[in-house]
Amino acid sequence: MVEERRILYEHLDVPDINTFDVFRQYDGYTRFEKAITEYQPDDIAKMVMDSGLKGRGGAGFSTGLKWSFVPRDIKPCYLCCNADESEPGTFSNRYVLEKNPHLLIEGILICCYAMGIETTYVYIRGEFTLGKKMLDAAIKEAYEKGYLGKDIRGTGLNIDIYTHPGAGAYICGEETGLIESLEGKRGQPRNKPPFPAVEGVFGKPTVVQNVETLCNLPFIVGNGVEWYTQMGPTYADTRANPPTPDPNTGTKLYCISGDVNEPGVYELDLGLTCSELIEVAGGLRGEEVKAVIPGGSSAPILTHYELDTRLDFTSLTLAKSMLGSGGIIVMNETRNIVDCLLNIMKFYAHESCGQCTPCRWGTPWVRDIVQRIADGDGRKSTMTRPKFGVAENGRWGDTGETEEIYEDLDLLESVANNIANVDTMTWNTICVFGIAVSWPAVSYLRKFRPEFEAAIREGKLVTLPVAEATVPPEENYAYQQRFIPKEFADL
Amino acid sequence: MAFVKLNDLEIEVEDGTNVVEAARQHGIEVPHYCYHQGLSRPANCRMCLVEPHVFFPPAGAIVPDRQLATGCTTVLRTAPPDRKLDGKYDFIVRTDSERVKKARADILEFLLVHHPLDCPVCDQAGECDLQDYSHRHGHDKSRYLEVKNVPPKKDLGPDVLLYATRCVVCTRCIRFADEVSGTGELGLVHRGSHDEIDIPRSHEGVPLQVLDNKLAGNVVDICPVGALISKDFLFKSRPWFLEKANSVCSGCSVGCNITVEYKADGVYRLKPRFHEDINQHWMCDDGRLGYHYVNSDDRLQLPLKRVDDALTPTHWADALATITEKLSEIETEDIVVIGSAQGTNEDNYVLQQFAHDVLKTTQLGLFGHLPGEAHKFPQFTIEADKNPNTAGARTILGSTNGNTVLEGDALWEKVSSAKVVYLVSGAPERPLEDAEKAALESVDFLIVQDVLPSEVTQFADVVLPGTTFAEKDGTFTNSTGWVQRIRKTIDPPGEARVDWEITQQLAKQLGGEMNYHFAGEIALEIAENVPGYADATHQKIGDAGIKLADSTQ
Repeated sequence: MVEERRILYEHLDVPDINTFDVFRQYDGYTRFEKAITEYQPDDIAKMVMDSGLKGRGGAGFSTGLKWSFVPRDIKPCYLCCNADESEPGTFSNRYVLEKNPHLLIEGILICCYAMGIETTYVYIRGEFTLGKKMLDAAIKEAYEKGYLGKDIRGTGLNIDIYTHPGAGAYICGEETGLIESLEGKRGQPRNKPPFPAVEGVFGKPTVVQNVETLCNLPFIVGNGVEWYTQMGPTYADTRANPPTPDPNTGTKLYCISGDVNEPGVYELDLGLTCSELIEVAGGLRGEEVKAVIPGGSSAPILTHYELDTRLDFTSLTLAKSMLGSGGIIVMNETRNIVDCLLNIMKFYAHESCGQCTPCRWGTPWVRDIVQRIADGDGRKSTMTRPKFGVAENGRWGDTGETEEIYEDLDLLESVANNIANVDTMTWNTICVFGIAVSWPAVSYLRKFRPEFEAAIREGKLVTLPVAEATVPPEENYAYQQRFIPKEFADL
Repeated sequence: MAFVKLNDLEIEVEDGTNVVEAARQHGIEVPHYCYHQGLSRPANCRMCLVEPHVFFPPAGAIVPDRQLATGCTTVLRTAPPDRKLDGKYDFIVRTDSERVKKARADILEFLLVHHPLDCPVCDQAGECDLQDYSHRHGHDKSRYLEVKNVPPKKDLGPDVLLYATRCVVCTRCIRFADEVSGTGELGLVHRGSHDEIDIPRSHEGVPLQVLDNKLAGNVVDICPVGALISKDFLFKSRPWFLEKANSVCSGCSVGCNITVEYKADGVYRLKPRFHEDINQHWMCDDGRLGYHYVNSDDRLQLPLKRVDDALTPTHWADALATITEKLSEIETEDIVVIGSAQGTNEDNYVLQQFAHDVLKTTQLGLFGHLPGEAHKFPQFTIEADKNPNTAGARTILGSTNGNTVLEGDALWEKVSSAKVVYLVSGAPERPLEDAEKAALESVDFLIVQDVLPSEVTQFADVVLPGTTFAEKDGTFTNSTGWVQRIRKTIDPPGEARVDWEITQQLAKQLGGEMNYHFAGEIALEIAENVPGYADATHQKIGDAGIKLADSTQ
């Protein structure tokens, strides 16, 4: 049985930990004091780089690397804390904000010290009224105690924190959308490059970090890099030549919801498998696992065949999915995948910001197609065609059989892939919202195609037994392989 | 200069050029909606996707980049020596690969899902980017079966209608209002597929601000589809039935380059034409909508002669004979000849030659519209001088033959002591001030050459029907010293004649030796005789215009 390893959440349940005095009793701000007394700013940046900390917001980009892109000679430079936690299935930041806001402030202070930043904006999801209230109170306290403001602890550091509530748009969790919104404009992502590290808030270099990422900093500084890197696996990144270490260090706040007995946030080492996680969350509610969404609703779904996938950034990328925000949704055998997809697509069609063409008009289209299938109005041709699948050589090819043509399923896959192609991982959109739409659409369809076909055939939603509903992984794998150009297939 | 491989072409472009422009310079079309040369680049239509090529170390080869890039934001620059591709190229980009073609077709499919198929009744049909690109780059059928969005048609301002169903949300109009006019009336309302362009409105839908700035008409030009429509042109004509001529706006002394679009029965609309140093891509609504007098039914079509205190139509021979008779019995110092700031350089040249050679007078004046209001926008200026050719007329009338050109009070003082005044106006609806009225009233014999009945013609003894900017060839000199050509589009109404031809006819009747056949011939004389105008021949001016060497004149 895997045990939780509570670091960020260690003192979460201590009464009044949100007050400065109690937080102080539990080593509060000592890590920041250690940072400013024992280390130079560049040392901190190097520690973060060495720790292998990856951004916890969704993309999993190395925090140290991100910091290294920030030009040091352009001032002012800003820190933007992304607390616009709006990915469906994700709720870990909220607990930090509501229960232990001083931890976030300490993380912000360390980041500001390392990067020479004087101004921080915390962009809080509008619905987090309690979180904002708690954070504002904590910031006020920190000012009073001399940990924020001018000349902090007599070191000459000036750091200010401003909180800014969002207005309820999912896209403002995208870093450039967040910046636009913060600047008072419509929350629409920017074209990249330039990346925020070079040109962010008010045209100045900006570090955008998730709440969870910043909360890791006090522990990296306090306990050292060696202690930190012991947690979680490190892989070899074979895409580089020679292979470079690809660390997945630290703990992750997994938000487990859905058909488990004890849903909630669990802080665990990176690199545990799906099955282990379900165990931690009190086991499955129901007979068997049908599917698992590993990283928020935009992540491609995992089938019961893939429950051994380790839930870390690298393993999930190799499994053609992503850890994303760590919002894990477990579904048992009673769930209908078409219905689930419809639910998710309604969300994305509603949340598309409408800035660029494919997403603006593609996402509602995808939703409408799924809606039609779910309503039992899906189209099926009377014709048949050669069935492509795993051929005798084990690769994608003509199997010699024929299959029925489900026009709407072809259309669904095609439209979703036109927004963002999940096979080549390319998108025609400005931001990655496009792929957040097509990833679930295409992966649900490919992995649970029998259930979609049944809905069209029967004219209503049909929940098939798990074994029948799921497409074996070999077939999916072979399907993906067909897109790799010949000259790169062997690299 | 960046050395770029564009498809199979090897081209050199200036640093900072984007792929769309570089391709356009070499005759390759990269379709686009949101990109406009005169505006910022949000890259939101995703139509201009191109395929950059990069060096891929594991393969040791130059391969297509993983992602397609938007051509409008992909800027070509000289690469450092160690970053050259293939040892020599600064950039390699394809605009015709299968991947690009597929992406274009896919984007067009998305653009068309909510677009109504109302081309048969759409004003834009025939000059619509959506239509053109669909033909060239799009799929041949629609796969969209769902319900289309039908946002309501909206009235945005005095001249602009929004057919919201046709809108592709490229936001060109919003950026125009923000960046060029600086008035910011337009914005997006709602979100996602319900995005709509709109003006600020209250919850009840009552407009709080309307699109009524002086540059508002430009949003209709830059709209790539039929969403923003000019009420002035609505349902008037199919664009493919219109003839087009390059000309210059006669609304003020800026001299915006325009295209006059016309049919045999009149001028239908004016559209701005790009000129880097004068108007860029824009023109103001005063100019754009100021052509209506050309088509007016009230236009002077026959010469008029005062008989028993009333102006009566007559024929040219009679009108000219009356004038000749009068002029031949008057002393030179009693004659004042007044040229027009609305007339071309050619008109004024012939006029001053007539005054000098035939009438032997040195008393010349300059007449035109009264100064109006000047307007300054972040990227555009409307001048207070509402005449297109004040600078040119002043120079041409005055600089040769020792003439003095009187203007304003000095002119009207002179006029009140004159016996015969030959006034070329051409300024439609010109109100007269009291001093002007008094001066003109006191004139014994007033010859007015004009295009419309006006307060000026009321005092005339003979009225000669002249022509507007749309009915003659010639050149205008703007306030910054650019000499530019206007071109004849339609025939003058009735028996109206080109102004310099009327003057020449008069001169001939009075024994002058003038024999010009066309405006270009006069321009050659101007080039020879007027200082600064040595290069201002019609051939050299062309469509681009030429800037006078001495801009102060």
